[in-house]
Amino acid sequence: MYYKLPKIDYYRPKTLDEAIRLLREIDNSRVIAGGTDLLVDMKTSRVRVRALVDISSIPDLRGIEDLGRTIRIGAATRLQELIESNVVSQNLPLLKAAVESMGSWQIRNMATIGGNLCNASPAADTAPPLLAYDAEFVVIGSEGLRVIPSTKFFVGYRKTALNPCEILKEILVKKSEWSGWSYVKLGRRGGFTLSVVAVAVLAKVIDGVVYDVRIALNSVAPVPIRAYKAEEVVRGKRVSWSLIEEAANTVAGEVTPIDDVRSTSWYRREMSYQLAKDALAKALGVA
Amino acid sequence: MIVVEDPRTLIRRWLSAESCIVVGKSIERSDSLEKALGRARFVEDYLEEGYLFARLALAKAPHARIKKIDYSKALEDPKVLRVFTYRDIPGENQVGYAVPDQPLLAEGKVRYYGEAVAVVVGKDPDSVNSAVENVFLEIEPLPALFDPLEAMERGDILIHESLGSNIAFRTKVRKGDVEEGFSKADVVVENTYRTHHQEHVYLEPEAALAIPDLENRMTVIATIQYPHLGQKIVSKVLGLPSSYIKIIAPYIGGGFGGKDDEGPLVAARAALAAYHLRRPVLLYYTREDSIQTHPKREATVIKYKSGASKDGKLTAIEVTIIHDSGAYANRGPFILWRATMHASGPYYVPNAKVDGYCVYTNKVPQGSFRGFGNPSVQFAAESQMDQLAEKLGLDPVEFRLNNMLRVGSDTITGQVLTSSVGIHEALKKLSAVSNWRVKRLEYSERRTGRTRRGIGVAVAWHGNSTSRAVPDWSNSYIHISRDGSVNVYTGIVEMGQGSPSSSHRQLVSEILGCPIDKVKVVFGTTDAPDTGATHASRGTSVGAIGIVVAAGRIRSRLESFLSEYYNVQREEIKISDGVVIVGNKIKMSWEELVALAYSKGVDLSATGYFFLPKGTFDDDAGRGFAYPAFSFIAIIVEVEVDIYTGRVKVLEVHPALAIGRVINPDAVKTQVEGAIIQGIGYTLMEKLVFADDGRIVNDNLTDYVIPTSHETPVIRNAIFVEDVWDYGPFGAKGVGEMAFIPMPAAIANAVSHALGVRITELPLTPEKVYSITKQLVG
Amino acid sequence: MRVNFTLNGNRVEVDVEPNEILLDTLRLRLGVKSVKRGCERGECGACTVLVNGKPAVSCLLLTVQVDGSEITTVEGLYSDHLFGELVEEFSKNFAVQCGYCTPAMLLTAYAFLNEALRKLLKPSKEDIVKAIEGNLCRCGTYPRVVRAITEVLERKLGKYG
Repeated sequence: MYYKLPKIDYYRPKTLDEAIRLLREIDNSRVIAGGTDLLVDMKTSRVRVRALVDISSIPDLRGIEDLGRTIRIGAATRLQELIESNVVSQNLPLLKAAVESMGSWQIRNMATIGGNLCNASPAADTAPPLLAYDAEFVVIGSEGLRVIPSTKFFVGYRKTALNPCEILKEILVKKSEWSGWSYVKLGRRGGFTLSVVAVAVLAKVIDGVVYDVRIALNSVAPVPIRAYKAEEVVRGKRVSWSLIEEAANTVAGEVTPIDDVRSTSWYRREMSYQLAKDALAKALGVA
Repeated sequence: MIVVEDPRTLIRRWLSAESCIVVGKSIERSDSLEKALGRARFVEDYLEEGYLFARLALAKAPHARIKKIDYSKALEDPKVLRVFTYRDIPGENQVGYAVPDQPLLAEGKVRYYGEAVAVVVGKDPDSVNSAVENVFLEIEPLPALFDPLEAMERGDILIHESLGSNIAFRTKVRKGDVEEGFSKADVVVENTYRTHHQEHVYLEPEAALAIPDLENRMTVIATIQYPHLGQKIVSKVLGLPSSYIKIIAPYIGGGFGGKDDEGPLVAARAALAAYHLRRPVLLYYTREDSIQTHPKREATVIKYKSGASKDGKLTAIEVTIIHDSGAYANRGPFILWRATMHASGPYYVPNAKVDGYCVYTNKVPQGSFRGFGNPSVQFAAESQMDQLAEKLGLDPVEFRLNNMLRVGSDTITGQVLTSSVGIHEALKKLSAVSNWRVKRLEYSERRTGRTRRGIGVAVAWHGNSTSRAVPDWSNSYIHISRDGSVNVYTGIVEMGQGSPSSSHRQLVSEILGCPIDKVKVVFGTTDAPDTGATHASRGTSVGAIGIVVAAGRIRSRLESFLSEYYNVQREEIKISDGVVIVGNKIKMSWEELVALAYSKGVDLSATGYFFLPKGTFDDDAGRGFAYPAFSFIAIIVEVEVDIYTGRVKVLEVHPALAIGRVINPDAVKTQVEGAIIQGIGYTLMEKLVFADDGRIVNDNLTDYVIPTSHETPVIRNAIFVEDVWDYGPFGAKGVGEMAFIPMPAAIANAVSHALGVRITELPLTPEKVYSITKQLVG
Repeated sequence: MRVNFTLNGNRVEVDVEPNEILLDTLRLRLGVKSVKRGCERGECGACTVLVNGKPAVSCLLLTVQVDGSEITTVEGLYSDHLFGELVEEFSKNFAVQCGYCTPAMLLTAYAFLNEALRKLLKPSKEDIVKAIEGNLCRCGTYPRVVRAITEVLERKLGKYG
């Protein structure tokens, strides 16, 4: 009532084709799913659009499925559905942990995984786990389907690789045996908080040797990032405290944080180191 | 049989009451159900079809001369009816509470980013919201000052030219000879402390609904903590007699002091619009408007030097308190007064020199917020106490007990405390219950590893009523209907503290002897006698004295009537819990008594006015009477510090209070718990961020964070020492603010116990703590 | 646009612009006063309603988005037994101070209790704390709210150790 939401047109297509057509035909139109980020941005004039295309009731965009070798998550799946899904807790515990740290129950009942990704906030909490899992994002446009690797999805501050009339359809994660995982998030309070820094780690340790490792962070760069150099430091090595410290130091060298109301860049860099140590220790099984 | 009407006699009678039916019991609040069911109405719930909407246009410069306010574009929308500026004020454009320095709407100059410039009125919120963006201020920018230390030195940039300086107000206290005191000291500690602003974040933002011509006067339903002050301000702004203005404070969604400052202003701005348009107008603040414009908890710089002798006695304190007052004095001088008077903490100090400065800057004004200048100065004082104890090799609790005020002590202003000083006993009990000594030792010996534990103590005192000889009074009106139901009228408001829905009802039921469900309190209205504000923890402590007097008068009349009617001595009459007993026989019910009294001509309506006796304070000498009584609190806090991240977690809080008679233990505990959680927020996470132009950057609840359910520590059952106050209702003193006041100090003391390092600047954000613990990590 | 939904068990139809927010539809058009405006950006939870039984913030929902949904506010729960018990415990435990956040807090607590009872799984204290993290209370009633919810749970599912 007291925020002016500009005049808009609203469409609720039943199919993906219809949604894509609407996006193509209407100038300055935009997808809405949960709306928990978009409506705030519209209320504060950070985003100006003429029409909203509500994709939340398109059946193709919903649901979590175990496809055998791959897990498929529809982009319009609500965050709370991820937490409550057995498929997610059995196969993607890292994603579940990250989503549990997001918003409040109210927000998780509304917000969608696709919305969190497409909003492309540097602080997006679904991003580090999906970057770590090397997830693939299936997008659909008038030209048809294409697959964007998660590591190529975030192209700049609040910018994704989506073309204007494309929709994120689903997220695919290949199943893999990970021996350990961790999501370590530091916010400004104990819960319902945006991250100051968060670190996600997946690790495959066999007989004390790191066979594979993935490290991803949010809030430390214009986009959520993978810490490739640090992964290289760890991969193939025998687990030790000095290895963890070296890797965490490398992480701190890879981040490019900024100052904002939540933190200074100095503290973010320091915390990248400290949190990476915690996350690695836990995922590598030495905590 | 004489009817007793004298207030002091009545107050004294109920002070010594021992066996009580409802006083001292945790009687459920009468407002819980209607609030739970969503039936309790807040200002915006009174909105009806056809009412107009209004919003403020705020200044977007910190310091500038106004050349023109251009709102022609705003009026292009036919749904926008009027834009009101200072020119439209029929009365006086002057609303300063302490000094006449503040316009209701900016005139001549703007002095802070976010200052109210105009009231935009239209038919719907959307039009009004657009129109607000089309109010343009043509200005000549002036250099702005943001640092109070700089502002007090500068004579070339003046925020209020006529004053000739940026120092709005000075205070002082003098006792003994501080030089001599320090010469006797074996240890001296000297530090500069810094504390920060705090935003109230009452969940209900400010709003006022002004309805002209209702009951032939201007009625304003507003988020306000003192209806009669609102009446005075609206009357001044509109140029109408107070009797033409009616203010109603319905249920208020949290106040914490903020709606004491902003309440009368929001009421006056709404009334101004309704006065001109002759139609009901709802003025609303968005959350952002609220954060940008309304006064905040003071930010301070406190220089504190204190000394003690080897035998563990304080010898002297020398304190300079600088308050960043922001653009207007608002209640700053009163806040500074309170800080100055309380600078020592609740200790006997033979030599004291305290100087206070309230300094203008081009920022949002400082204002009332739970604790009112006291949390910051107790943070400094109690940090000093720990450091002195450490230098003396004394336990912090022992050292405090050594110096604690007792009955007969004189304070730093030279006021002798003649009764009601229970803090010594409270701290002693608290220390035992919390296992202080053992934990203190245990945590000291375990200062290794990643997470460090600490336990800290802080005590605080808080003068009841207004400072010095500023007049204060209580008043109420009670009327009993023929069916035995009782209406109590008070100006005290209900903003969460629950006095009208708990303690007031209990007091009336106890004194009249009627069942508690017969008592209905009509609160927050200028139709009640002026009861003073609901601030300074006075809703019950002072606010209900008038209720005791009015109810006591009616009780006395009933006893007098019954003694004549039955021809017995007064002592043989008992009216209690709805039953009248004469001798040993039950004679009748409460309802029958009221019916009988009506039929026999007993007056069952009474007012209860009580003017608090006070001494005098000599401003030039800095000595004299400060407060009629003090409430006291001691808090012990246990924390855990993660030295790798700097995160401080408050694990446990043990409170002990000396607040006179406790009328409703659970209601008091909720105030204690709420203040503790608010104090944790202030100390650990809340911080306003200012841009270079004085704009508050984090003006929304995404960026300004307050505690959630996660930030609740284990809060132990409060210990009560019932050190009754001679004038309090049944001896009650104030409680609402108490637990907030020692929290910053207690947490800081616990953190420095955990780390072995002292932090003198708030808030203790992870980042700040980490900047220190990084060295510990190595 | 015409929007149909169920409000507290009653079918309602409203004709709204697409940019109308559910909070405004409820408060201004339908007279539901228990739903409170606090921050208008999903941070305070005072405007919480139940959408198909799940808590959601009505300040971040377009009214057109709830077409076909079931919306519940406290007004619709007056005769609900579980809700009644919860309200009793709120009152007994002094979990209500200013009351501005209370109806929303109760809705969240009610939805939480319903879910726990449906699953017959006794939530931990941490689960309770987490469930209400989206309902800010500046008066600081959190410990009392947790106690009130706990008492209802204990009565239904047995004592906490």
